[in-house]
Amino acid sequence: MGRKVWMISAGRIPLRSTGREPENTSRDELCFLNVGYREAQVKVTLFYADREPVGPYKLDIPPRRIRRVRVNNLINPEAPPLDTDYGAVIESNVPIVVQFERTDTSESKPAMSPMMAFAT
Amino acid sequence: MSEWSNWSGSVRFTPAAVVVPENEEELARIIRRAGDEKQTVRVSGAGHSSTPLVQTPDILVSMKNFNGFVARDGATIAIRGGTMLTEANEIFLEHGLALENLGDVDLQALAGAIGTGTHGTGRNLRTMSNHLVGGRLVNGKGEIVDFSIKDDPDFTLAARVALGTLGIFTELRLKLVPAFHLHRKEWCTHIEDCMVNLDKLIASNRNFDFYWYPRSDEAKLRTLNIPGTGPKDIPYAWCQKERTGWSGDVIPRSRGNKFDEIEYWLPIENGPPCFEEIRQRIKDVHRKDVGWRVLYRTVAADEAMLSGAYGRASATISMHHNASLPHDAFFRDIEPYLTKYGGRPHWGKKHYQTATNLKQLYPRWDHFQGIRRSMDPEGVFMNAYLRTIFEEG
Repeated sequence: MGRKVWMISAGRIPLRSTGREPENTSRDELCFLNVGYREAQVKVTLFYADREPVGPYKLDIPPRRIRRVRVNNLINPEAPPLDTDYGAVIESNVPIVVQFERTDTSESKPAMSPMMAFAT
Repeated sequence: MSEWSNWSGSVRFTPAAVVVPENEEELARIIRRAGDEKQTVRVSGAGHSSTPLVQTPDILVSMKNFNGFVARDGATIAIRGGTMLTEANEIFLEHGLALENLGDVDLQALAGAIGTGTHGTGRNLRTMSNHLVGGRLVNGKGEIVDFSIKDDPDFTLAARVALGTLGIFTELRLKLVPAFHLHRKEWCTHIEDCMVNLDKLIASNRNFDFYWYPRSDEAKLRTLNIPGTGPKDIPYAWCQKERTGWSGDVIPRSRGNKFDEIEYWLPIENGPPCFEEIRQRIKDVHRKDVGWRVLYRTVAADEAMLSGAYGRASATISMHHNASLPHDAFFRDIEPYLTKYGGRPHWGKKHYQTATNLKQLYPRWDHFQGIRRSMDPEGVFMNAYLRTIFEEG
């Protein structure tokens, strides 16, 4: 179940956080669901408005598991800038489901925005 | 001639010639000729330094023909000056010996690691340079110099951390320790729990360091102990990974992701307040662009004249940044927080210090300079970068 290619066009990690971290860190998260029996090897490429894409960021999703990955914490090949618009293309070797969630604690009351990535 | 680049790509230059001497006599001839022609000679090691120590417009020497084991005398191994650190560790282990400690990576040339004061972590463990008890080098006059800590203690203390300014090592004699196993554990916790317990963590582990992650305020603690010793549990942290093996296999980690780095040595008591100021500064100003972790380690005091730990137990703090991203503004902004606490720069990593400041930081600076000038009166080994370090004005 799922698709092998997913896309996100509304990425933007909020710069400011309020409260003790990491639970209150403002963040964009990629939420993966792999219901299959093979490990998903995922490549994420980030796209920006004013420079060349960066990637691939390589992630593994174990079979029959979910995994959440903070875009904030991606580091290899390059730390994504906060407070900057980006899009993402997520390619997997096996079908998976991808959801995208933003948590914004810039204000004292956290705001959460879950959304589906676009699948092709 | 093709361009030379260091590991991260932040140092690039094209020398007029790359020479690969076969033996000591040929190396000596190359240096004498360079002196006569007012040329600069530098050595290319593994290229892991972030500073332009290797850079020269003239002659770059490859020591790839000076490789491997020479002799053993008890716990002292003589090894050729161009041997890479990974290979040296294998040679030592074949003889049942090991370096007392290692750094986070083992990608360097052994002579380069020693010459820049490379270190690992451990309150009672000194830099790799302190293993050097003698050796042979070709100085700036093209003379072959054989020295030992017994016969030439001051010269040896200068040679332990000399940035390649006394001569080119053709042989290093290192006093080692019996080979040993270590049990490595990696733990996750919050940085505040780490800092509250820092003194105990440092005191209760043979090797302890931590990484702070600026985009989550989490910390990774790394503990290495002789199997069967050290704390079994850290109540406020969870163990993520563990491994036991020979020290040379367990201490260093391979690094696929390339980075640039600034690191300073601080009096050990100044480490925590300095770190806290840097942590706040990064969160306030740099978190938009900086995602790499900050590394905190400790090193025992030593006597090498230009060692960052000369005369004082030290805490070291290093900032990293992806090699593909601009690091200069970040490093320049953080450096004053390090110097404010009496920091000395790591010689193999980025810094912005010059001779006027540096001479204040090392009590035996003038003594070292005297030895350096006697070994290289014409400045054959002095490139533009080294002149900013060693020559005022």
